[in-house]
Amino acid sequence: MAMIEVERLTKKYRDRVAIDALSFTIGEGKIVGFLGPNGAGKSTTMKILTGFMPATEGKARVAGFDVFEKPLEAKRQIGYLPETPPLYPELTVRGFLHFVAEIKGVPRKQVKSEIDRVAQGTGVTTELDRLNSALSKGYRQRVGIAQALIGNPKLLILDEPTEGLDPRQRNEVLQLIKGLAGQHTVVLSTHILAEVKTICEQVLIIHRGKIVADDTMAAISGGKENGLEEKFISLTAN
Amino acid sequence: MRNIIAIAKKEMTVYLTTPWAWIVFTFVSFVSSFFFVGLLVQFKQAHEDIRLQGGWEQVSPDAQFLRNLTDGVVMPLFSTMLVVLLFVVPFLSARLFAEERRQKTFELLMTSPVTSAEIVLGKYLGGLVIIGATVGVTMVYPLVLAMYGSSFSATTSEKTATLEWVTVLLGFGALVVWGATILSIGTFISSLTESVIVAGLITFAICLVWMVLKIVAPNAEEPWRSVLDHLAFDAQLRNPLRGVLDLKPIVFFSSVIATFLVLTHRSVESRRWV
Repeated sequence: MAMIEVERLTKKYRDRVAIDALSFTIGEGKIVGFLGPNGAGKSTTMKILTGFMPATEGKARVAGFDVFEKPLEAKRQIGYLPETPPLYPELTVRGFLHFVAEIKGVPRKQVKSEIDRVAQGTGVTTELDRLNSALSKGYRQRVGIAQALIGNPKLLILDEPTEGLDPRQRNEVLQLIKGLAGQHTVVLSTHILAEVKTICEQVLIIHRGKIVADDTMAAISGGKENGLEEKFISLTAN
Repeated sequence: MRNIIAIAKKEMTVYLTTPWAWIVFTFVSFVSSFFFVGLLVQFKQAHEDIRLQGGWEQVSPDAQFLRNLTDGVVMPLFSTMLVVLLFVVPFLSARLFAEERRQKTFELLMTSPVTSAEIVLGKYLGGLVIIGATVGVTMVYPLVLAMYGSSFSATTSEKTATLEWVTVLLGFGALVVWGATILSIGTFISSLTESVIVAGLITFAICLVWMVLKIVAPNAEEPWRSVLDHLAFDAQLRNPLRGVLDLKPIVFFSSVIATFLVLTHRSVESRRWV
């Protein structure tokens, strides 16, 4: 079954076309790299899929639910980490995750165990009683991912989850995401190709609002060591 | 309903774990205690003067309200609180949506399975509880009066209840309603901007204009005079603050609140459709 189905999705900001008739499908359980240069339309696509903003034209379905016609059902299937982790600085990590669990409709009795589960999965158990504002960048990102995991959504959409992290934190976050494969479908946006190579099975490259490549990792890199880089540079050249 | 309560609880936590609410509680206690003492001194002075002059019959009708503690101290105190609320409510309401946008946490709310109406109501309710607590601070003074004050019937010299609690509670209710009204305006303004300061100032400016209507009204020509007089903020509150409950202010303020909550909802929804 397809987790995400997008048909001719278009978004215009006044005269500027951010994404232009995108069509793609993403299967269940895959880790998909969503690549493109800065400003290619990655974040726009993700914001439409998560129901943060509507498209100008076209259709998008998440786990079979149309994101425009059945927004609440579609949103229940998605865990989303925006570009900036949406942490309330005044709350503790525990308080914040508790709030997210409530608005995501986690049954009252399971809220506590759910917080423990995601905290353990993202390695923030020791930070649960600290204020969000006191966290380091790496932990902020982890709490952002923990927040997305609450309620065990089928689909995770992560917008540049490793942005601004040091190499070690970056590696840890990538391993974390890799560990999610199988239980969740993960869409990962980034412009760092090395990350994609380590963890993604399918790659979508978007350039100036259009899909320029949609294939498995192996097919795109052609088996070469830096095949993905070469392909990316040649596809996004102009 | 659970979503509304969750959001309201979050707002209350943020108010109470940051200086926001505490600054307001402190400010309100300070200002109101100042007025309370002033009003008590005035009350005492009036009663001494009357003893010297020989009875209430000599006193002009304008000063008759000083006969008892409820009308002579508590109600004037509540009237000044109307103005105090005008300063503090915009301060509380300004962050409701503006802060959310500035911190980029709005994306979390908008991509969670909650409706815009639940977001608006949850935030409003959270703010309302804090405003209730703010007004609650001033209930200390009636309590102090009830504990230490005493009152005697003018005709039989028997001891009577110090305060008329029904009147006091009605005044309290009027203050909460007034706070709730400014809060609804402030919530709407906050949903329009990313800057907390701009949201607070604009809300304050709107409420100030509303207060000034009362001064402008007598100078306007009919039919404007009646319209302005009717809309002036305290025109609707005069009765409840005298202990008279009628339907008019209830309808008036609940329509204002409902209108602004609907506008806020439209404004939040429109964010989705830019």
